[in-house]
Amino acid sequence: MISLSSVSKRFDGKRQVIALDAVNLQIEKGEMVSLVGPSGSGKSTLLNLIGGLDRPSEGDIRIDGTLLGGVSDDELTRIRRDKIGFIFQFFNLLPTLTCLENVSLPLHLRGWPATRINERARELLALVKLEKRLDHLPEELSGGERQRVAIARALSVYPPILLADEPTGNLDSHTGEEILALIRELHERLKATVLIVTHDRGVAEACPRQIALKDGHIVMDKKG
Amino acid sequence: MSKLLIFAITIVAMAQDARQIVEESQKRHRSNSQQYEGVLQVFNPNGKNSEKRWQFFRTGNYGESKALLRFVSPPEVKGVALLIVNHTDRASDQWMWLPELQRDRRVALQDRSTRFFGTDFSYEDLEERDVNQSDFTMLGEEAMNGQPCWKIQSVPKKGKTSQYNKIVMWVRKDIYFPVQYDLYAKDQLVRKLNYKRVEKVSGVWSALEMEMLDLKRKGRTVLRSDKLQYNVPLKDELFTLQSLRRGE
Amino acid sequence: MRLLKLISWQYVRKHLLRTMLTMAGIVLGVAVFVGMHTANQSVLSAFNKTVDRIAGATQLQITAGESGFDEEVLERVQSNPNVRVAVPVIEAVVNLNLKTQSNILVLAVDMTGDRSLREYDLEDGDETVIEDPLVFIAQPDSLMVTREFASANGLAINSKITLSAMDGPRTFTVRGIMKSSGLTSAFGGNLAIMDIYAAQKVFGRNRKFDRIDLAAAEGVSVPELQKQLAATLGPGFEVESPSARGKQFESLSSVYGMLANITSLFALFIGMFIIYNSFAIAVTQRRSEIGIVRALGATRGQIQALFLTESAVLGLVGASAGLLFGLGIARAISASLGNFLGEIYGVAQRADEVSSDPRLLLGALVMGVVTSVIAAWIPARSAASIDPVLALQKGRYQQLSKGENRVRRQMAAVLFVIVFFCLFFAQDRVIFYSGYFLTVIAGLLLVPTLALWLSKAIRPLMKGMRPVEGTLAADSLIQSPRRTSGAVSALALSIALVISLGGMARASYDSINEWMRIALNPDMFLTPTQNVTDRSFRFPASFAETIKQIPGVRLTQVVRNARVLFQGNPVMFVAIDIASLRRESYLPAIQGDSESMYRLAAAGKGFIVSDNFAELYKVKYNEPLQLNTPTGPLSLPVVGIVRDYSDQKGSVLIDRNVYMKYWNDDTINIVRVYLDANTTVAEMRARIEERVAGSTRLFILTNQDLKAYIIKITDQWFGLTYIQLAVAVLVAILGIINTLTVSITDRRRELGVLQAVGALRGQVRRTIWLEAIAIGVVGLLIGLLFGAVALYYSLEMSARDIAGLRLDYTYPWNMAVGLVPVIICAALFAALGPAEQAVRGGLVEALEYE
Repeated sequence: MISLSSVSKRFDGKRQVIALDAVNLQIEKGEMVSLVGPSGSGKSTLLNLIGGLDRPSEGDIRIDGTLLGGVSDDELTRIRRDKIGFIFQFFNLLPTLTCLENVSLPLHLRGWPATRINERARELLALVKLEKRLDHLPEELSGGERQRVAIARALSVYPPILLADEPTGNLDSHTGEEILALIRELHERLKATVLIVTHDRGVAEACPRQIALKDGHIVMDKKG
Repeated sequence: MSKLLIFAITIVAMAQDARQIVEESQKRHRSNSQQYEGVLQVFNPNGKNSEKRWQFFRTGNYGESKALLRFVSPPEVKGVALLIVNHTDRASDQWMWLPELQRDRRVALQDRSTRFFGTDFSYEDLEERDVNQSDFTMLGEEAMNGQPCWKIQSVPKKGKTSQYNKIVMWVRKDIYFPVQYDLYAKDQLVRKLNYKRVEKVSGVWSALEMEMLDLKRKGRTVLRSDKLQYNVPLKDELFTLQSLRRGE
Repeated sequence: MRLLKLISWQYVRKHLLRTMLTMAGIVLGVAVFVGMHTANQSVLSAFNKTVDRIAGATQLQITAGESGFDEEVLERVQSNPNVRVAVPVIEAVVNLNLKTQSNILVLAVDMTGDRSLREYDLEDGDETVIEDPLVFIAQPDSLMVTREFASANGLAINSKITLSAMDGPRTFTVRGIMKSSGLTSAFGGNLAIMDIYAAQKVFGRNRKFDRIDLAAAEGVSVPELQKQLAATLGPGFEVESPSARGKQFESLSSVYGMLANITSLFALFIGMFIIYNSFAIAVTQRRSEIGIVRALGATRGQIQALFLTESAVLGLVGASAGLLFGLGIARAISASLGNFLGEIYGVAQRADEVSSDPRLLLGALVMGVVTSVIAAWIPARSAASIDPVLALQKGRYQQLSKGENRVRRQMAAVLFVIVFFCLFFAQDRVIFYSGYFLTVIAGLLLVPTLALWLSKAIRPLMKGMRPVEGTLAADSLIQSPRRTSGAVSALALSIALVISLGGMARASYDSINEWMRIALNPDMFLTPTQNVTDRSFRFPASFAETIKQIPGVRLTQVVRNARVLFQGNPVMFVAIDIASLRRESYLPAIQGDSESMYRLAAAGKGFIVSDNFAELYKVKYNEPLQLNTPTGPLSLPVVGIVRDYSDQKGSVLIDRNVYMKYWNDDTINIVRVYLDANTTVAEMRARIEERVAGSTRLFILTNQDLKAYIIKITDQWFGLTYIQLAVAVLVAILGIINTLTVSITDRRRELGVLQAVGALRGQVRRTIWLEAIAIGVVGLLIGLLFGAVALYYSLEMSARDIAGLRLDYTYPWNMAVGLVPVIICAALFAALGPAEQAVRGGLVEALEYE
């Protein structure tokens, strides 16, 4: 499903930083993988590359068999919106939009008809158990609820891949567990491939496959 | 004391002398009327010379005479006429007739020091001056062109305006005829006027040629009088604006 | 100061583009101010210089309006013992048919005596200047030109040059060339001197002079002599020093100066909002930085001073740029101004060098700095009130503007009440203008509220159009009134200005068309000059008779119009046969009874004045008008007021018999010709040309020609006001660009999220475009509303202080509708740059952006 071969990423500033150094990685369809490592180990960079938010300096990335290198920005966006759902640490909900609107956003961007969007958005919010908060603005919700809206948004078209960047990082431990449980449930129900970047040992251990990064190299990759 | 007194009296006597000589000179050469054909030649320092001809008529006593001057050549100025009416108590009045415009105009007289139509004469030089307008001093005797002359200085009286602050003239002793004037402005000699070809015409001594030298611009103007006649009968109507306008 | 360098400079460097956009308003405002005033001053000083140079040693000048006076006056002046020298003068600007120069100033003087006042040559006598003075005077075709003019046109002594004289084109002979001197630099060296008596004929002046130049006798006090001459000559004459002529010219160009002020004030005012806006945003964006500095021990005062200093520096830099820009455009403006004054007032003047007054430049700099500081005042205060603790917490916003809108609404309401009362006492100038000012302030206070309401109102509309982009764009407006209200205010102000000027223009055109329909109904107009406002040439009285006898002419009316000094101002007097005018061009009286107005005026028992004259000189119906004419005082009542647009500064209609009697002037400027029913204009043109061909300088204007000419002048006039519009709209567009640039920086993360969840670049671009359009539409709607009010005040102002014209209030709906696409396009245009910027740059940083 996700395949990286000798992917490197360098940041050219005053001092060159090698964030990823010839990383090879294979993630199969339906896997649930956690990605751990200290700050600056390159885990967020890896996630961004897989998500098509950024492009590698060297190496190839394939998503569902499609090579990401060489496609246009808009093509990349299309791949992203069809195959990948993002969940962010800071939720990144648009503060001016209601829960329903936030969840509808990616569907609108795909140009779905309004009734279908409405149907799907409600369905998604029901999935994350927020069917009673449809018309609330993000600021009226708790942190956990906001993250659930964000998850619903990420699932909008039931993408085969879910990428989560510290989904519990901004939540208290109890809520964090709830969110993790939700992600696991969705993983099982939807058969989605899930990749979670986390600091949280608990979260990491909850995943069947755990990968650890350090200084741009994979230092551990264990299953089960 | 008495010596000084005698000296002072002598000066006064000489001064009176000078004035009397000038007065006598004007009296002798006075005529009731006069007529001639003038030729005016201007020699410019840049070598561009010009010649103009006119007819001249004059009537009346010196100092209060009237004169009419009418150009006959060159063609550009043919018909232009000038009427001059002299007054004993003030500057003369001058009118000009312009045939091209068919109108007469007063000649502005405020600045009499300016040159008379491109000649080396200034407007003031053409005026007749009454002896009462100046003070005269005898400077002595001096020969001029081989003729014994009185050398007399005239200075305008207070209140009389003139561009010249001093005029020195040479008057021939034999015939009381002035032959040269040195004209000073601000104590600088600016013009020299010479009377040449002095002859007796109809019993009146006359200079048939006058030469004016402008020392500042280094130009020279010669005025020749041909066919000079005196005491010809000239009607007063000739010297009026109407006559000027008729252009005859 | 160190703080400034440490903190502000870094910020400016990072936001260089935005800083430049912020300054745009100041740059433009100052540029317009400096440019237009410098141009005005240059033209004025060129005029004064010409007057000076031509005046030479002249201490006093005697004039009698434009009618001139008889030669006999000269003798009266000369006979005054206190006058050393007095010489007559005729001045005319003559069109040359030369490629290099179009106009030449002909100064006609008495060649026999003028040298006592003017030095034609400083070096030596006049022999090198004039070949032969006697020939010069004897030949009326003699002309003396400046060396500059001669060499520019390849002229030498005895060269021929053609000038259009009263009796058609006429060949002149160059008989003198002036060496360079003070005089020859007058009128840019395009100066010719001729003899005055020849000029009387050439310019159709009869036996009249335009002016007498004189100098006092030695030891005579000039003011004393001035009084004495004024007393001997009587009230119809003006005895003034040469410099006083500059003042008259100044009064003609004053309208232009006023316009310059209004335009630059508007640009600065609008610029002020952009600065306010930028600073308000900067304060929000830099709150954490401010928080750190505060935490490190900076006082509130220091923070406030920091921002104010920043704004002062910004103002200074902007004003300096504006200054340079203004001086750059001054030359072009002064050329157009010279033409403009020539066209409208018939006073030709050219400024060959641009001269700027250091005081003006300093004033402009101060203006720029003060504007900027005032604009930054409120943001600086809110910066000072930032709480360091709150500011340092990531992701939290301290609400800096809580409750602001409510307070503003209340203040606006109070102001509107005051304004309402001001309307009742609007006769008083101070109250009227205070009312206007307060209205603007109240309006501006309401802008954020109105903008919010309107944004909310159009949100569903935009959502319907584009569910994602539309909603986001509308929300961007609703969420950050602080960011948008500045741009919206600037735009609304510009639109209001456009509407008020547009409304005024339309009302003016309507009134002028109506006036032309009635007053300008003759079939043909005959003039001796190409330009009806130029009065250098005039027909002799007999000319009308010649025309009348041409078969096919039903009626002729002769017009003599001239500027006559009224209370020291040059006022246009139109002398015409009033009885005939009543029969043919019946302009109704707007005050007074029309019938008796025409009857009394025709009988020489009164003046008919234009409404703008009445307004400008506070003249009332039935009140007597006191005038000084060359033959003595004239006092007649105003028997009626009509709407007449003959002159910007007002006009007075008078029966020609009265004019001829008091001004001793029977010359004619215009012959109005009415044709028989079965004669066509083309036939008549041919007949007239046949009759007067070659013998008279003549220009034939058909009815359409003249109307087109007047419309052209009106267009030119409004052309100047359109500069204001252009400047205002330009500044407003810069405001939109500024706001959007800020908006995309502010919303970088939001835009990043949008892309992360699948927005294509086109969709992001459209969001920015829609936001711009939303700002445009909101600004437009508010502006159209404000415009309705501004139009009322503009019309009042025009009636009171600019032109004295009372115009009817009509809202320019056409223009309002026409503005919609213009503003939308302008807004879209403004959005192009920012939209591109929004899709550039890494998504990763955008998402991490804080």
